[in-house]
Amino acid sequence: MSKDVDLISGEFIELRKLKVGDAEITMKWRNSARASLLNRASSSLEEQIAWIARRPDSEQNYIIQTRQGLPVGMLSLINIDLEHMRAESARFLIGDEEAVKGIPAAVESMKLLYDLAFKHYKLQRVYGTVASDNTLMIKWQKYLGMKEEGRLRRHYFIDGRFQDAVCLGILAEEYEQDAKPRMLALMKISSHKL
Amino acid sequence: MMNEALIQQIIFDALESLNTELPDDKQIAIGPDTPLFGSNAEIDSLSLVSLIVDVETALNGEHDLEISLTDDRAMTREISPFSDVRALKEYVLELIKEGSHGN
Repeated sequence: MSKDVDLISGEFIELRKLKVGDAEITMKWRNSARASLLNRASSSLEEQIAWIARRPDSEQNYIIQTRQGLPVGMLSLINIDLEHMRAESARFLIGDEEAVKGIPAAVESMKLLYDLAFKHYKLQRVYGTVASDNTLMIKWQKYLGMKEEGRLRRHYFIDGRFQDAVCLGILAEEYEQDAKPRMLALMKISSHKL
Repeated sequence: MMNEALIQQIIFDALESLNTELPDDKQIAIGPDTPLFGSNAEIDSLSLVSLIVDVETALNGEHDLEISLTDDRAMTREISPFSDVRALKEYVLELIKEGSHGN
């Protein structure tokens, strides 16, 4: 894939390309309680380093960092398919919630990823799955424009039991018309003087 | 008739619902001055959206008021309507009084 973007700057945060040197912090985030509803994380630093090193060209994996360069989370666009013009948003995690208090980091991260998908790659569709127990994330993604397209029953085995995968998706025009204005509003509101 | 106490209760109900989704160490102490989103906030942005959705659903569904908490009006306010419970309650009251709903 020839359209890599190493750094995407927003008003409050930046997405910068994940590198092997991020193995330790990303492993710590992925093994935290906040990530309990995501897929299994690496069990050793070596495994995490190897995982980062072998990311394929069809993925754009990012560290979410503050404008001052402090890493606070991660987010990826994977399965980028330039024939069918679609990709999957994945691995979304704010690992350092304290560092982004009062900053609309999650919303702007998602907006920057959609900009990458729909403007840079000119995709038609971004989709993703969320474990059915992750109700806050499902509600959040729907409020920010994704639509529920179906469920994969007993798709995940997390926390000792099976969960459905809720399939969500958003089209390019839905992002421009509905999701983006709402994201901008939410960013503005949540960054107001307190 | 929508009054201050009822709006506060709707916000409290949304926060109680949110607490059922949060781990024990992230439980929100619910009260009229509970900080919501900001540097002193109790909740993160995922939880803020959950709160917005639940309050809008209660106002729109149960009380037949067509209110959006994230429209242009909220963006132009100097103080965020989501800074704490009191600010949100006053903002909802203001939206109702200004007749921004569909009744």
